Amino acid sequence: MKKTLLTLLALVAAMASVEAQSKKKKAVDIKEALPIQDKYYERVQIPTPPGEVVEVSSIALLPGKKVAISTRRGDVWVAEGAYEADLSKIKWTKFASNLHEPLGLFYKQNSLYAVQRPEFTKLTDRDGDGKADSFETICDKWGINGDYHEYAFGSEPDRNGDVWIVLCLTGSFHAYSPWRGWCVRVTPEGKMIPTTSGIRSPGGIGANDKGEMFYTDNQGVWNGSSSLKWLRVGSFQGNPTGNKSAELTNFPAPPEPTSGSRILTERLKFPEFVPPAVILPHGKVGNSPSGVACDMTKGKWGPWENQMFIGEQTASQVQRANLEVVNGLYQGAVFHFLQGFEAGLVPIRMDQAEGTLFIGGTNRGWGSRGSQPFTFERVRFKGKVPFEMHNISARNDGFEVTFTQPVDAATAGDVANYALDTFTYIYQSSYGSPEVDQTTPKVKSATVSPDGLKVRLIVDGLVRGHVHHLMAEGVRNKAGEALWHNEGWYTLNEIPAK
Amino acid sequence: MRTPAFLALLVSATLAIAAEDGAQVYSTLCVACHGPDGKGLNGLPPLVGSDWILGQADRSIKIVLHGMTGPVEVARNTYNIVMPPQGAVLSDEKIAAALTYVRKTYGKNAGAVTPELVKSIRAATVKRDTPWTAAELLKDHPFPPGQTALVNLVGTMYKGEWKELPDFSKLKPAQIEDENGGVISPKQAGLKNAFAMVWEAKFNAPQDGKYTFVFDCDDFGALYVNGERVAEVKGIGAIGSRRKEVPVLLKKGLVPFRLEYVEVAGEEVIVLGYKGPKDKDFKWLSDAPGAVAKAPKNRLPIPLAAQGGYTASYRNFIGGTTPRAIGFGFANGLNIVYSGDNLGAELIWNGKFMDAARHWTDRGQGNEAPAGENVLKLSGVAAVSGPVAPSGEHVIYQGAKAPFQAIPVVAEFKGYTLDKNGNPTFNVVGEGFAFTDAWVPATDNGKTSLTRTITAAGTKPVTILLAAGLPNTANDGVIELSANWSLKTLNGVEPTAAGTDLKLTLKPGQTAVLGYILR
Repeated sequence: MKKTLLTLLALVAAMASVEAQSKKKKAVDIKEALPIQDKYYERVQIPTPPGEVVEVSSIALLPGKKVAISTRRGDVWVAEGAYEADLSKIKWTKFASNLHEPLGLFYKQNSLYAVQRPEFTKLTDRDGDGKADSFETICDKWGINGDYHEYAFGSEPDRNGDVWIVLCLTGSFHAYSPWRGWCVRVTPEGKMIPTTSGIRSPGGIGANDKGEMFYTDNQGVWNGSSSLKWLRVGSFQGNPTGNKSAELTNFPAPPEPTSGSRILTERLKFPEFVPPAVILPHGKVGNSPSGVACDMTKGKWGPWENQMFIGEQTASQVQRANLEVVNGLYQGAVFHFLQGFEAGLVPIRMDQAEGTLFIGGTNRGWGSRGSQPFTFERVRFKGKVPFEMHNISARNDGFEVTFTQPVDAATAGDVANYALDTFTYIYQSSYGSPEVDQTTPKVKSATVSPDGLKVRLIVDGLVRGHVHHLMAEGVRNKAGEALWHNEGWYTLNEIPAK
Repeated sequence: MRTPAFLALLVSATLAIAAEDGAQVYSTLCVACHGPDGKGLNGLPPLVGSDWILGQADRSIKIVLHGMTGPVEVARNTYNIVMPPQGAVLSDEKIAAALTYVRKTYGKNAGAVTPELVKSIRAATVKRDTPWTAAELLKDHPFPPGQTALVNLVGTMYKGEWKELPDFSKLKPAQIEDENGGVISPKQAGLKNAFAMVWEAKFNAPQDGKYTFVFDCDDFGALYVNGERVAEVKGIGAIGSRRKEVPVLLKKGLVPFRLEYVEVAGEEVIVLGYKGPKDKDFKWLSDAPGAVAKAPKNRLPIPLAAQGGYTASYRNFIGGTTPRAIGFGFANGLNIVYSGDNLGAELIWNGKFMDAARHWTDRGQGNEAPAGENVLKLSGVAAVSGPVAPSGEHVIYQGAKAPFQAIPVVAEFKGYTLDKNGNPTFNVVGEGFAFTDAWVPATDNGKTSLTRTITAAGTKPVTILLAAGLPNTANDGVIELSANWSLKTLNGVEPTAAGTDLKLTLKPGQTAVLGYILR
């Protein structure tokens, strides 16, 4: 009898656990997702120079529809024909070799400029034979000590012509060389201006439509999760490891925050502490964000004007983010977007005039879902707008969700079709953080706008400083179709007054 | 009354275990590096075949909690990367579940790990704030002594120099030792050069069938199984090209085994393994790291060399100079490394230029030394001396840890240009002066050489360090820098000796032409 009871109990327990399992969110199956993606976006792999190892590390756009790429091995190649329908006729020319792991390339006035590990360099072909013969050092003021992790990612020039460079920590943990863990700007004359402290391990850097610079930083020490961060001049980005370099110039001493706290708590103590604009929840959105691009194509690349796109190395994806400024800080939502790329993504570069996103990847040293050792690809919008949450915008008492197509008023107006959960991370000196302080705010009402494009959600229980995960699984458009991606993660740094 | 309470307890306990799904933790966090099959992705360490996940779980728990850094041998390959710590991300329960999954799936059923054990180790190591090194972990948690198929292994060492295998029966042993683990290692000799060893044992064949032995060594030796010489490595040389794989038919039981080995000089390595009738992979009987024991697949050499008369170049971390190193491999087989930190050529050598495999494989850590011969270190400090720039604008930031220093300097690196054949001219600028420093391949009375042309500009003289700590006295305009290299004045502008330094002072507009000659 006792034995029977125990068996029964075990069975009950097993059934309960099966039920718990089945309630877990199903991971997006790539085999199901890619045919849907293909309806909206054309993703094409661009043939790279035959027989060459082309681990794309940065991308530059040149006049006359030429595209230059740099590689981790230090080559620079220029392609003619990368925009053509028939890519079999693409022509590659090796412009330069012998750069030290360049991670930032752009074109300006007949020269290419590269941020490479030891310096920022101007590459010029003086005699017009198609090969660089001048490698002029513009700035080499930051420290390197031989550690492979001391990467330097460079932006395109900002509106003043300055190039922004984010300098990874030594081994991604330490600051064993000057200016590791800093963002610096370099003027066209080569002057280096320390710009922000608090960097850990960047994956890419790029400006938004207003010319404000953003970079991605990877989960690790003092980074509970990876995120997209706003490089406000003079700010502290959260990681104090490199603070000591401030003494080298008259830069004000950066904050020494308390470990085991929360970002909100610490940043309220230190006004120069700019919190992440958009947290990319680790393991949910991605594992290692990389390149940053802004869509200023005026619709050529889809209805995402001024939104930010973020490469993802591990998952071989591109995420989409909408940003807004509330109480002087950037914040916004991230959505899953494109996937299926052939290697781990590093640089992404938008040709705004052509509406073409170029993407490069490598998985050497860091594994990725895309299984090829390297890839160079381009993505174009096919003209059919997918049904998506276009953006999530914070309100004093909830959110306003804008959709890309008019919604079905019945499903979109039903609070049962929305679910919210919030969380944050421990802000600490050790590596990463679990999600903590979870709450589940209640969606009290959902009001559809007359044009059907917006839904106003009144929410009970917004939490300042938390990531708000919004699911809109049951919402349909007028044709009865479900959302392509039905969830977004909004980083609510500030709750607006209105 | 007791039963419902017990029921509730049991159900909730089972749910708690189910909620911490080790496979899910693995597929979220571990899979990116260790791979969906545990074999490691893209040159990252595998779990399959790893001793690190076996035995007492303490070692694995510490690695997951605090991470691991530096060189580590896993499944006979050496890796040198950082595993990020997960202790702050994962609860005790999640770590226990993930390790239980890993040990069950890849660790030969090494046994479940309890959250209590994770909790106790977390508490015991609470002050640890940096990743562990392999040496630290193995000191506290050594691998359990294994037993190879070699039973009653005895090693006998002889001192002397031989060019081929001697008749050991006529030699007098210098040392005899039992090797109870059954692992053969040249280290057991206790000498680096000029010795021989003979190991004898019984090879325990678990069944009848075909066994494949693999044998290679540095310098030479012979393998005897069942009384027959089955493989021999002849001559003096390194691991790799002489590797032997031989089939041997054996009956189940203890079979006589003998290995003879001679080390003359240089590296000492023995690679010895076997595959039984049912084995897929080799099992190892010697201690050689897998990087040499396995055919080297992760890091095939990527030799760089001048092509079609065009000088090769390599900008990366090069051993023997500073991090801002720029190497040039000229078409006549001579090579230099220029330091963008010190503003001078610091190494010169001949033969092979550079092997890029270290930096172009995996994450590319560490310095790579020049690939060729007769490497001469010319100098290793700032090459331009004199008063620092008065404006204070020429500054470098120095230091390996805080407090860093902002140091005013005399001059700065401005990059280089290349001529039609890829030969470099380096540019250095200070306040009131500048100079160019050009290198081209040449010959000097039938000997290969490099011609270096330094031209000063501006309004002030400049003094440049050419060599430090080397012979610096000229004889007929020739300075014998080393047994292999000499420096010759080619246009009458002479360097001067200052202590152990050799320096060149140029007035504005003045040019010095120097020959670096392989003697």
